[in-house]
Amino acid sequence: VKLFTGRSLRARIFGAFAAIILAVLLATLGLTQLMVGRDARQTLSRELHTTGQVFASLLEERAARLRSSSALLSGDFALKRVFATHFDPSSYDAQTLASAGLSYRERLGVQLVWMTDEAGMLLAASPDSTQLGKSLADFPPLRQALATESPAAEIVAVQGQLYQMVAVPVLGPDVIGYLLLGQIVNDAVAAQLKQNTHSDITFLTPAHVYASSWPVGAERSSLNSQLARLLQSLHSATPALLSTGSERYLSMALPVEAAAPQPLFVLIQGSYDRALQPLHALQWRIAAIGILALAAALITGMFLTGSITGPVGQLVGATREVLRGNLQTRARLDRSDELGFLASSFNEMVAGLQERERIKDTFGRFVSNDVAEAVLGGHVPLAGERLTVSILFQDIRGFSALSEKLRPEELLQLLNRFFTAAVAAVEAEGGVVKQFTGDGVMALFGVPQRHDDHAERAVRAALGIVRKLQVLNAELHEQATAALRIGIGVHTGEVVAGLIGPDQRVEYGVVGEPVNLASRIEGLTKEVVTTILVSKETASRLGPQFALGRCALLAVKGGSRPVEVVEVLVDRGTDAMHSAA
Amino acid sequence: MCRHSSRCHLNRRWLSVLLLCCAAPLCNAATGVSGQVTAADGKPIANAVVFVDAPPVAQKAAAAQIVDQVEKAFVPGMLPIVVGTWVRFPNHDQIHHHVYSFSPTKTFELPLYKGDAAAPVLFDKVGVVRIGCNIHDWMSGIIVVLPSTQFGVTDAEGRFRLDNLPAGDYRLEAWHARSKAKPDQTAQVAHVAADEVTMNFQLTLTPERPRPAMHGAREQP
Repeated sequence: VKLFTGRSLRARIFGAFAAIILAVLLATLGLTQLMVGRDARQTLSRELHTTGQVFASLLEERAARLRSSSALLSGDFALKRVFATHFDPSSYDAQTLASAGLSYRERLGVQLVWMTDEAGMLLAASPDSTQLGKSLADFPPLRQALATESPAAEIVAVQGQLYQMVAVPVLGPDVIGYLLLGQIVNDAVAAQLKQNTHSDITFLTPAHVYASSWPVGAERSSLNSQLARLLQSLHSATPALLSTGSERYLSMALPVEAAAPQPLFVLIQGSYDRALQPLHALQWRIAAIGILALAAALITGMFLTGSITGPVGQLVGATREVLRGNLQTRARLDRSDELGFLASSFNEMVAGLQERERIKDTFGRFVSNDVAEAVLGGHVPLAGERLTVSILFQDIRGFSALSEKLRPEELLQLLNRFFTAAVAAVEAEGGVVKQFTGDGVMALFGVPQRHDDHAERAVRAALGIVRKLQVLNAELHEQATAALRIGIGVHTGEVVAGLIGPDQRVEYGVVGEPVNLASRIEGLTKEVVTTILVSKETASRLGPQFALGRCALLAVKGGSRPVEVVEVLVDRGTDAMHSAA
Repeated sequence: MCRHSSRCHLNRRWLSVLLLCCAAPLCNAATGVSGQVTAADGKPIANAVVFVDAPPVAQKAAAAQIVDQVEKAFVPGMLPIVVGTWVRFPNHDQIHHHVYSFSPTKTFELPLYKGDAAAPVLFDKVGVVRIGCNIHDWMSGIIVVLPSTQFGVTDAEGRFRLDNLPAGDYRLEAWHARSKAKPDQTAQVAHVAADEVTMNFQLTLTPERPRPAMHGAREQP
């Protein structure tokens, strides 16, 4: 019981604590996720945009470097001489031109060297010299250079590879031809760009990945497989989340001006998951702090609730003991707080109950429980009160002869058996046994407990005594003991009820003429040879269920005038029930 | 453009107009042709050369011409000469120049020199020779080698004048450094008699190209 009471209260306190802390924890985590997540995304977005700008300037720088290298080379007098050979068929030597191209490739660290005449016809190419004689006038950087006679740069797709190409006019001193240099844009370049920008870089068109900082493998294959969708979703400058392999990447596609079969984009990707790592670390820490707080709160709560629910549980236990009737119980709480006060009050209260119970017990031995309760309950005015009550007198016939026949122990046992039955019959009808008269009892009905039907109750009690006597007689018969015979008289009249006697020996009782009359009516039963006689006053209060017998006007001992008495035969209701049973 | 291709055109042309012009010496009246070279929009074109396209005749060596180098520029920027003329390239700057030409009409090279150290160059073929300086990219000049001595250069108003043409029929052509048409595509026949003949040419020029920076060099004349 203690445990249960403790637990239910404790559980509620724990639950409240835990719920508040969990709610705060979840709210903090959610808020952190929302704000830091958004911030991380914005930061990453900004980084991507910066990368985009850095990337553009890196590309521009590469082009500028290539352009200046080409310009330097094109100003070389030896190169001009080599170029000028094409004016004269007799001295034109394609092989020399091609070998010069190879030399320039190595000198500048470029992958493509092409030379054209002033109209754009290919004179020499390194490494691939199969296209000689073909016009490159429409080849993007050259087309522009031809139009302006000044250097032009462009990213070009040549045989499935991306090249940054420049075309510069060779002046002698007017344009005598064009020099085209190409620097490849491959995985190594993308990897280098990644080193500079810390983002993954991929050059691609909707149909083809030209170069990428992604290693050839799963990520790259997944890029390849989702190219079209990817570019569709990335057309805007707002970065979008893409899953590549097992990670999520914030990705941005920037269009790159290039001469490729399809629009060329550079895909710039920063790992979103990696950007979120600090957030996750933060969340783990918050969660750890939250769990620690929860544990601390629970432990504190356990102590706190233990200090409350323990004593409360003790009090509850003690209360239950008291309810069960154990008034020895005391709450053992040595505390100075409210609970201590509650416990001492409880103890005082139980002590009071115990005292009352002790008094009632002691009292009850001399008076009936009802009288004791009535007196203890303060229902009895000390001055006494006038009440109409019914008085029952019962007496055993031939008691003197019986006491001669039986041994005193046997007699006492017999009397006790009878009186136990008689008292039970009286109390069953709400009456009180006022006194034992050696071989009889005197019982009151309608006092101290007030019953309006006290006359009927008294008569029913009389009939009850008779019925119990019949049972007792049957038992006596079996023991070969002679049957007991009794007489009962009932009278109803006004008496004064109150406490009688000196202070030390005070007892509750009634006085008045009707008491004597009731006793005398009982005496009349011998004369008229019947068991129950009631006075006219009593009989007039009985309901029709009582079967009454003879009626007589008899003189009583010591009475100035005769008394009208009626014989009670049976209570149809009760007796029918009993005979049926 | 007329650089190396103009050479063959001129050669063919001279043969075809030989008969037409052979009557010229017969008439000795000292008359001429004058006119204007303009663009399609009527703007005058300066520095155009209008010349009589005639087969070159052996004549006594003309006086040597000069393309000077002053303040890192060729002076004059354009020099019309008759075929067989020697040209000297004196350098009046305090620095070296390295004059060259890759033009098929006359390929030559005068490696780094100062003053009058460079030998004169004989221009013995008709055509256009573009000259440059190896160490100064912006230096650019043109020597137009013409078949005859009868030529004129247009002034700022685009006007030219050919004097002392004996009466007869002359095939006249116009050339400009930026002309889109080859000279023979501009050919007109002038019938020179007692009066002076007026003949106008219309040329379409390519836009002027940005050239390498001049770095304090004097503007082309």
